[in-house]
Order: sequence, then structure tokens, then C-alpha cells
Amino acid sequence: MTVTFPQKGLPWLLLLPQLLVTAIFFLWPAEQALEQAFYQEDAFGLSREFIGLENFADLFTDPLYYQSMLTTLVFSFSVAIVGMSLALLLAVMADRIIRGKLAYQTLLIWPYAVAPALAGVLWWILFDPSMGPIALWLKSAGINWNHYLDGNQAMILVVIASTWKQISYNFLFFLAGLQAVPRSLIEAAAIDGASPFKRFWTIVFPLLSPTTFFLLVVNLVYAFFETFGVIDATTKGGPGQSTTTLVYKVFDDGFVGLDLGGSAAQSVVLMAIVGLMTVIQFRFIERKVQYS
Amino acid sequence: MTDVILEKVGKTYPNGYHAIPSVDLSIEEGEFIVLVGPSGCGKSTLLRMVAGLESISTGELRIRGERMNEKEPAERDIAMVFQNYALYPHMSVYDNMAYGLKNRGMAKKMIEEKVSDVAAMLGLTELLQRKPRQLSGGQRQRVAMGRAMVRDPKVFLFDEPLSNLDAKLRVQMRVEIRQLQRKLGTTTLYVTHDQVEAMTLADRLVVLNKGKAEQIGTPMDLYNKPATPFVAAFIGSPSMNLVDANLTEQGIHLSETLTLPLSHQHRGDIVWGIRPEHLEVSDERNADFALRIQAVESLGAETLIHGKIETEFGNGEPMVVRLSGPHLPEVNSLMWLTAPMSHWHLFDAKTQQRL
Amino acid sequence: MIENRPWLTFASHATLLTGIALVALPVWMALVASTHPASAFGVGHIPLWFGDAGAETWGTVLFEKAGNGVDTPVWFMMLNSLIMALGITFGKIAISLLSAYAIVFFRFPFRNLCFWIIFMTLMLPVEVRIVPTYEVVANLDLLNSYTGLTLPLIASATATFLFRQCFLSIPGELVEAARIDGAGPWRFFFDILLPLSRTNIAALFVILFIYGWNQYLWPLLITTDDAYYTLVMSIKRMLSVTDGDIAWNQIMATTLLAMLPPVAVVIGMQKLFVKGLVDSEK
Repeated sequence: MTVTFPQKGLPWLLLLPQLLVTAIFFLWPAEQALEQAFYQEDAFGLSREFIGLENFADLFTDPLYYQSMLTTLVFSFSVAIVGMSLALLLAVMADRIIRGKLAYQTLLIWPYAVAPALAGVLWWILFDPSMGPIALWLKSAGINWNHYLDGNQAMILVVIASTWKQISYNFLFFLAGLQAVPRSLIEAAAIDGASPFKRFWTIVFPLLSPTTFFLLVVNLVYAFFETFGVIDATTKGGPGQSTTTLVYKVFDDGFVGLDLGGSAAQSVVLMAIVGLMTVIQFRFIERKVQYS
Repeated sequence: MTDVILEKVGKTYPNGYHAIPSVDLSIEEGEFIVLVGPSGCGKSTLLRMVAGLESISTGELRIRGERMNEKEPAERDIAMVFQNYALYPHMSVYDNMAYGLKNRGMAKKMIEEKVSDVAAMLGLTELLQRKPRQLSGGQRQRVAMGRAMVRDPKVFLFDEPLSNLDAKLRVQMRVEIRQLQRKLGTTTLYVTHDQVEAMTLADRLVVLNKGKAEQIGTPMDLYNKPATPFVAAFIGSPSMNLVDANLTEQGIHLSETLTLPLSHQHRGDIVWGIRPEHLEVSDERNADFALRIQAVESLGAETLIHGKIETEFGNGEPMVVRLSGPHLPEVNSLMWLTAPMSHWHLFDAKTQQRL
Repeated sequence: MIENRPWLTFASHATLLTGIALVALPVWMALVASTHPASAFGVGHIPLWFGDAGAETWGTVLFEKAGNGVDTPVWFMMLNSLIMALGITFGKIAISLLSAYAIVFFRFPFRNLCFWIIFMTLMLPVEVRIVPTYEVVANLDLLNSYTGLTLPLIASATATFLFRQCFLSIPGELVEAARIDGAGPWRFFFDILLPLSRTNIAALFVILFIYGWNQYLWPLLITTDDAYYTLVMSIKRMLSVTDGDIAWNQIMATTLLAMLPPVAVVIGMQKLFVKGLVDSEK
């Protein structure tokens, strides 16, 4: 039981700024999105017409929307899996060594601080089809790299740029997870005759599963929402729709396509997904608190 | 002069739980009152109600004649020493002690004077610039007391202040607290679950059980004339031997075959008690009963003998005997005992009151 | 590890060094590119070693203009970025401290509802509700203003949660001692709570500063006036120039300058940064 102060009005005063900001910049827009989703508005915003669920119907019959969903899934899981695998490898190596751990850590974590858009630009120049050193090198190896034209290559580029930025985060959490594995367990396994490789897969990796699961969630959320800058600065969702994720599509349809109703309907769908994820995460946190 | 008065003070929690039904207590100025009882008996709740940290549901609390029920803790002119000391970890010893005075708007000069006086009294002068984490347990305890003392309050409240110290330090601090309180003459309310601490510190004790004051009295009152079997068992170590018995015109029937002769007008189920130190070793002819010895604890200065009253049907009630000096009786042998009538304690089994 | 196998240790170091090299590769390239004149970039050609135009490029973008259609110098946009980042950081910390204080140390009706409303903002980044939020800000006449840049982003569930955790770990006896010492809610907040939370605040500061500095889409949408351009978003404007005319050296210099402050913060305050990351994900 926490000890509390008896004042009744003061807590509202304390909460006021947070609630005001939330109400004005979160609840109000959310309400607007909900409203717009049921209207059709002309491009000049002069007139609008109530059309019921038509925006949603359009959305769910639009093959491009499903394609965007697929793109999002492919993109998110690629970022999560590639990023986590590389980070785990580096973390295991860093956990093994005794000297210079902090120096390695420093040299690996800084990309976290780079803005996604900048990460996109940095990798773009490496892969630029006409002058990027990697693109040229690939060309000499017989691969014709041009992410302006090839959708799959564009996807690979945004995955690389997004993963690069996230490796630092995964690395830190894996390293912390590895350091939390009790030494006595590893020693016991060594006495039982397990080789270092076997020890990792039978003892350490299973014990890391909470960290792994947690990172999977975080990475998916990251790829979902926070990679807007990467995509916008490099491929702008193209070529075609090959790198248009759901979040990018909300922006693209709303600000570029000026389909406000369609964009609002997408916002509503995304908010519903987010709400669901929030509930799941809340349950997860509650359980974690109970058991710890 | 009566300093603190609790009149039918009770506590009911919002969920309906009756923590304390009703307690009456009046404390004289300068008196050292100890609230003692097992954990969960409501002693801390009662103290916190006096402090103003818990609201008072029923009854009235008066300090120097003034009703305190609605007053904030800071307005009651009390000071409290907490179990975990509750020192502000980011403040130096000096700032910890000065904080309450600063909040009351006392002049800086005056604060300095007061803090250094109290620090000198407690031997904290060298430590004033340290942070709490750089202090030992005993030093922290002293700072917590110093923080209470600089305020020069009407009432000191102590909430199990010694329970986090090791045994040796506990004894030392116990003596120190008593000396300081005598010197300052401040009315004190002290909560503990340790009956030795309670007996050695208190002018008067309040024994609490399930939120009820079982008995209020001086340590010797409680030792010599416990009002209920609960108090009898709680005060004294090892605790009093209590046997369920039956009182008839023949005397007290401890079992079907064992009767201690007594003429008493009371009839029916009673609890008969005698303290371990009052049992005397005798021979078979003069003994009141025999004890089948089960274990012997030799402490050097004294010996504790645990056994069960021997009856024709095998073992009866368990009993502890306390003898001074070393004794080495064989386990499983019989020991003949007399129980002098002047040391008997009789309680009505139904009302739990002393007869 | 248990066995002492030199080749394993060697392999570990080799893997880590390779990792570091790969991670640093794009920055290296950018650094090299920024030291050449714009004319050095062409089809099939990009310089792989440092040139001698570094000082000139950096000097130009930093003090004259970033180039590629952005006429504002980098130092000015840095100032804007700093204002936005600090505004968001201090704003988030302030309102989160207050609301966590209310939620932990007071009992009032609808406490749980408030908690949930704040919680909902946790997972809803501005990108998701971008169009209506833009409209709200436009309606409030906050386009092209520092208020518009910062205010919509300062509601923070993460920070509120972190402070809630931190406050819950403060022993209740400390609150009681303060009450007996005559400290009311405000005095307690400033004298006890804030000093006790200062490492948490510092750790969060690092994370939020990076978050604020790296904002991209939001400033891109609501600033059309050069005077409010922030550094990260200016890259987008620079890239909008027709393909053949892009001055890559200037873009690379600007990019490096844009990432320099947050990277410096991460490296300089590594301990706080790690603590902030770990804390904010509890």
C-alpha cells in the first residue's frame, strides 16, 4: 500500500497538462478521424457527404490495401529477424570476451541515435545504382542493382537501413539478457560435457526466450511505426507500391493522394490495431508484474 | 497533568474491517507508554492514528486538552521515529534533522543551534555532513531520533525503532532511549512486539490483542497480576505455563486424576497458570505433581526443563520449569515439583478474566 | 567462458570488429563524400578516399546555406532542432512527472480511467493519426511555430510509466516522515521526490532528447517557413531537387551534422542512455 496525500483537488491540477495535451492532440484527432472515415470530402474541403461505411468497404475491397498489409508484414518480420539474429551473434561474442567490452558496446550502439530518415539517406548513397559503391560492386558481380526499378531490391534497401538502426537496441538487450544467465548453470552444463555450441542452444538460448520475445514485439512495433522516415527518404513507398507500409499509406493517401476519407478510415483501422496491441501488452505487463 | 487522551478511539477501514474496536488510554506528561502485542494486533495502527497518518474512525484524541482528530500530522506537535528510520537518502544528516524546522519557518541561526545541540547529545557531531547511506545501522537510528528530538515536540512516537538492529546494538540503544527520554521528560508512545523491550522501557504497558487493550499497567502489575491468559502468556520469558482445568469444591482438577486442593467460591472451567520460575523441585512425598522430562536447555546461569505432567494415562499438559544454575536431569526421567499457591494465576475460561 | 580456447576468443574479437566495421561503413562513406566537390560525383563514380574540399563543404553548409534548395545554414536549423528537441524533452518530463505524482500519491475518482487514457497514447505514434492531427494543429493556427512543433508530441505514456515505477519504489515511511516534518504535497514533490528521481530523469532526458531531435514527419508537415526548418527534416527538402543536380557532398555533410548531436549524447552519456532504454521498456 502506498501512502497518499489527502488532497482531493490537487491531483486533477497535476494531471491537467497531460490530459489537456492528450485530449487536444490525441482524442480530438482520433474523433476527427472517426468522423472523416464516414464522409466523402472533395479535394478542396468545400463540401462533404455522409457515406457511411463506404470508405471502409472501399478499403477492404482494395487489392492495394491488402498488398500494403503484406508489404508491412514482410518488411516488419524481415527487420525483426535480420536485426535480432545479427545482434544476438554480436552480443554472444561480446559476452564471451573479457577485455574491451565497453569499447565494443560504445562502437555498436551509436546508430540508435541516428534519425531513421538519415539512416535511409546514408544507405541510399551506398546503393545508388549509378554511383553507389555497393551497387557498382554488385554490378561487377553480375547483379543488376537498381532499387528505383526493382521492388524487391527497394525492399531490401529499406530493410537494411531500418535494421542497421535497430541493431544497437537489440544488441544491448541481448547482452543484458546474456549477462543475467546464471554462471552456475553454464558451468554445470560444461561439467555435464556440453560443448560451448551445444550449451548455447540448449541452455542459454532457452533462458533468453523472454528477452527474445520482448525484442520481437519491440522490433515489430518499430518496423511498423517508426520506419516512416527511412521509407520516405529513400523509396517514397515505391517503386509502384512495393515499399508502401500501412503507416506510409495513411500519409501517402492523405497528403499526396488527398483522399481524406480513405486515409481517415485507414487511421481508424490502425488505431484499432494499436488498441488491441495495447490491451495485449497491458495484460503481458500485468502478468509479468504478478510473477516477478 | 494528563497529556494525551484517547477516548473510545476506534478504527474501521473503508472495506469494513474493524482494526480497532475501542481503546481508552490517558497518558500523563512525561510518561513512557509502550504498546505491545503480537504482529497484527493493531498497535502500529493505533500509533499512526495518534500521529495523524491514519484517520480516526470513532472516538476522540486529545493532546494537552485539544482535539486532534482533524489535524494534519504536522500540526499535532508530535515527532516520530520509524522502523526503517525513513531518513531522506539525498540529504545530509544535518539536513535530515533540520528539514522539519525549515518547513516550520524557523530562523537559520536557531536551526543550526538546535541541530548542533541535539547532535552533540547523540554523538552525531562528526557525522553531520554525511549521507544516510554512509552510516551504520546504529548511527541511522540515532539520526532518526535526533530528527525527532530537534523539534522538541509534545509527544514522541516510536514505531518498532529497534527491530532492524542486531541483538547487541538493540540492548544498547534500548538503554540509550530510556536515558534520553528521562532526561528530556517528553511524553512517549512506543510500539514494539518484543516483550523484553516493552518491560524494560515502559512506565506503563498497553497489551493489545486483536485491536483490544487487554491490560494497561506497570510492567510489574502485568507480571504479577496479568488480567487475562493472553497477557499472562505474552509477558515473561519463557511464558507462563497455562493449563485448562476445572474448579470444584475439591480444588483445581488439572486432569482426571490430578487435583490441586483449593477452596474458592468460583465453579466451572478455568485456566490455571504458574510461571516457570515459580515451580520448585521437591521429593515424591511433598510434590504436587511429576514432570516427564522431554528436553533440557542449559544456559549456564539457568536451566530450562521442558516436559509433560505425568498422569496415569500417560503424558498430560506440557510444562516448562526454570531453575537457576546448572542442572542435568536425564531426559525421560521424572522430576517431582511443587507449585506454591501464592504464585498461582486463575482465569475464568469463559470470560478470560482473572479470578 | 569456461574453456580457455584462444581461437574462440580470437573469433569473437574478429566478429565484433567486422560488425563494427559494417555498422560504421555508411558513415565512413558519408564522411569521405563530404570532402569532395559536388562535381566528383557522377555516373559510375564515387570517391572512396578523402578529398581536399572538406573544409569548404562543411563551412558552406554550416554557415552559409545547406544547399540543394535549402537556403538556411545548418547552424540555424540546428538551433531549431535544439529548440524542438529540448521543448519536447522538458515538456514530456514535466507533464509526466506531474501526472505520475498524481497517480501514485493521491486517491481520486476516475484515477484508473486517467491512467488508461494516458496508456492509450503509448502506442499511438503521430504517424498513425497524421492527417487529423495536422488538421487540429492547423485549426489552432499552430503551423510554422515552435509550439506546433513541440506541443502535440509531449503527451507521453512512456515517461509517465517510468516515473510511476520510480515513485512506487519510494518507501511510504518517507512520505509519512515528510508529512510529520510539515511538508505538504508541493514541498514533498520538490524537496524529496525530484531529488530522489534525478537519475531517472537524466536517463529519460537522454532518450527523449534523441526522440525529439530525430522527429521527421511532423516538422516536415507543419513547417513550410524556412525559419522553422529543423535539421533532420531539411534532408528531405534537399533530396527533392531533381536527380542530376543533387550536391551529394553537401547532403552528406548536412546528414553527418544532423546525426552528430544525438550520437554525441549517446556516446558521452552511455551509462544513462543504457539505463534509460532499459527503464523505459519495463
